[in-house]
Amino acid sequence: MSVEAQQGIATPRIPAGLGGLLPALILIGLFFVVPVLALLLRSVTDPAPGLQNYAALLGDGTYARVFFNTFLVAFVVTIVTVLVAFPVAWMLAIMPPAFASILFGIIILSMWTNLLTRTYAWMVLLQRTGVINRALMGAGIIDQPLPLINNLTGVTIGMVYIMLPFMILPLVGTLRAIDPMTLRAAALCGAGPLAAFRRILLPLSLPGIAAGGLMVFVMSLGYFVTPALLGGTSNMMLAEMIAQMIQSLLNWGLGSAAAFILLVVTMALYALQLRLVGARRRAGGA
Amino acid sequence: MKLIFAGIVAGLMATTAAKADEMVFTSWGGTTQEAQTKSWAEPFTAGSGIKVLQDGPTDYGKLKAMVDAKNVTWDVVDVEMDFAIKAAKDGLLEPIDFAVVPKDDLDPRFSNENAVGSFYYSFVLAWNKGAVSGEPASWADMFDTKKFPGKRTFYKWSAPGVIEIALLADGVPADKLYPLDLDRAFKKLDTIKSDIVWWGGGAESQQLIASGEAAFGQLWNGRVFALEKDGADVGVSWNQNLTAADVLVVPKGAKNKDAAMKFLAAATSPTGQAKFAEASGYAPINTKAKAEMPADVVKGLPDAHVDGQINLDLNYWAEHRDEIATRWYAWQAK
Amino acid sequence: MLLDYDRLGWLKAALLAFTALVAAFLLLPVVFIVLLSFGSSRWLAFPPPGWTLKWYQELFADPSWIEAALTSARIATMTAILAVAIGLLASFALVRGQFRGREVLRGLLLTPMVLPVVVFAIAIYAFFLRLGLGGTTVGFVVAHTVLALPFAIIPTATALEGFDKSIEDAAIVCGASPLQAKLRITLPSIRIGIFSAAIFSFLASWDEVVVAIFMASPTLQTLPVKIWGSLRSDLTPVIAAASSLLVALTLALMIVTALLRRKLQT
Repeated sequence: MSVEAQQGIATPRIPAGLGGLLPALILIGLFFVVPVLALLLRSVTDPAPGLQNYAALLGDGTYARVFFNTFLVAFVVTIVTVLVAFPVAWMLAIMPPAFASILFGIIILSMWTNLLTRTYAWMVLLQRTGVINRALMGAGIIDQPLPLINNLTGVTIGMVYIMLPFMILPLVGTLRAIDPMTLRAAALCGAGPLAAFRRILLPLSLPGIAAGGLMVFVMSLGYFVTPALLGGTSNMMLAEMIAQMIQSLLNWGLGSAAAFILLVVTMALYALQLRLVGARRRAGGA
Repeated sequence: MKLIFAGIVAGLMATTAAKADEMVFTSWGGTTQEAQTKSWAEPFTAGSGIKVLQDGPTDYGKLKAMVDAKNVTWDVVDVEMDFAIKAAKDGLLEPIDFAVVPKDDLDPRFSNENAVGSFYYSFVLAWNKGAVSGEPASWADMFDTKKFPGKRTFYKWSAPGVIEIALLADGVPADKLYPLDLDRAFKKLDTIKSDIVWWGGGAESQQLIASGEAAFGQLWNGRVFALEKDGADVGVSWNQNLTAADVLVVPKGAKNKDAAMKFLAAATSPTGQAKFAEASGYAPINTKAKAEMPADVVKGLPDAHVDGQINLDLNYWAEHRDEIATRWYAWQAK
Repeated sequence: MLLDYDRLGWLKAALLAFTALVAAFLLLPVVFIVLLSFGSSRWLAFPPPGWTLKWYQELFADPSWIEAALTSARIATMTAILAVAIGLLASFALVRGQFRGREVLRGLLLTPMVLPVVVFAIAIYAFFLRLGLGGTTVGFVVAHTVLALPFAIIPTATALEGFDKSIEDAAIVCGASPLQAKLRITLPSIRIGIFSAAIFSFLASWDEVVVAIFMASPTLQTLPVKIWGSLRSDLTPVIAAASSLLVALTLALMIVTALLRRKLQT
């Protein structure tokens, strides 16, 4: 029995906790599901009833290529972000508060500058005649400018930059919640640092990694601005392609169909991720 | 009873009168819209008393959505001409009231039943003098990586211009450009694809050339004009320049149609066009505007470079907009 | 031992060095933009040929930039408050609730993050047009709250999951009401989560450009929309100046908060 029940405190007869979901469900139901479904319906009615839009997309090599590229970029960005964010979050979790505040401040400051402006700054920084290449050539490290922009490298750099705070902050929360005693106990039992990391720190920080990773991956799938400015046209991503269909070609049937396919695939991946992470969490005992 | 009735009537008249006193003008933002506001909206308000509210940026998806929902908040919109032709076909635009908007002096290349010209421009070949040795003279030179090595920049979106450039560079005579041989154009573009850096907006094109990131490119003449004024070391060739235009349209169901038509008359007047041309470097679409402009500005206009000038066929583009776009984006994504 | 800052040994130096690199990486574009805002060249060239204050002068001479920033701030603040409130309630339900279909509902609440934003923008715009909410602040905030909600739910739910409920239960046993226990024990413990939720929600609205274009009206122009319009047609360092001002503002706010906190603690 819940503590409230034990104390004899009366709770209303809604399935436990569902009430808290009501505002969220109303908001999403009314202002998201309804309008979006109305638009997605056009994928099978515009310009004529039927599944032609889907046939056109799935049979078309371009869409498949863009689709694959989008998931590839999202995947790469997520992995790189996790790898870069983990050490930083680790430090943030255990640093003396004075240092931690400064580091937090830097992270938040980097998020505050407008997204478009930041991305434009990266454009100028990464160009062949940009600061980074000129500095590297000036220092004699390279003699030909590196192609850092209009390709996967540029997109990755730009997007990791934007995603880092979204990964670092949740991870810090999780790491801070880990009791240092567990690691001390492990050390006492003779575990070396590598073993302690692999078998205690890493598994305990998985919820934070999963939460941050999910946000970053999903955001990267739908991202528009940064890939458009820093990527080449040969690594066009879905969001840009769908925007073209909707705003330039005014073909809402095709655009909605493309968006619907993306939605379905992502939800399927999400369900899969739930199975994997959720099962482990249940086995680990929360 | 009579008093209440009078009150209601007065109230109704007040609200409808208030509505008639304003309209919404939408354009692309930035200094172009500022110039349009100064040259057209402000004199218009001073003369007619109708307030002009600025909105933007122009978004074709938003335009279609508001017409579909029959709740149109834009009265006059600046759009690309090939879009305007397609939009008219799709039933998204009001016909222009030529009883209010004088038609005679308008350049016939750039107006039709549902659109009047806003301004027109040419695509020209521009290059960064420091990054290039020698002087490119024609579009074919843009495809000659041996004589002119370096990155080239072209307009990113599916729009009139790049395809024609590729065909001209491949030797197609100007009068045989249409119908466009897309396969031939893409094959030609493939020869330099790895050296292409795309520009998506006017400012980007200027940035690329001015910084030397791209040695040369296809730019809007107004942009090159601004670069030269700023003292940037750029060269320009008007040979084979390609004209295209922006136009002003009234969305179907616009709430202040009468005010919109009056605004169009002001915007396309010789004075309005002259003022805007001076401020922006773009060309007027009213043939009488040149008479009101200083001589040195007239020299920089596309009108002064009609030798070898090619008019992009915007009607052709409107007809085939979708199929060209599909192929264009597919080619870019390869 | 791995979580003891002083006992890390060589690992500490390595981690600190890496962290310093990342901090530099995070600051690089920001510093760059501030420097550019003082450069005399119209083009974003670095190093600039000279230094000037004229971009700031231009910025202050044009009230529409400041108006746009204020509009953005207003909408983002309302969005953050709404999103965090709704998100907090939802997180409690999702983490503690004992009904079936919890994970499905959680997935549903995350879909605004998945759907390409332009599809949502058109959909909500058309919907609002029919309701007469197009171009209104209310509509704007509602649309942005939908987008921000997943960003509010994920950090709070994660923090709540990591929180040991027995402390809260102990407080109830000691006589606190469930609400009091939550307010005085649970919420403070998950404050990093709530803080992250607030920041992410605020920024989701502050930086958002696509929906903002659709929700815009002559009186409702947000900063990203103005920058978007400017970037397309004229790239001048005025944008850099606007961004630098905001950075300076944030820095000032952060320093003031830190000083205040120190004062309150002593």
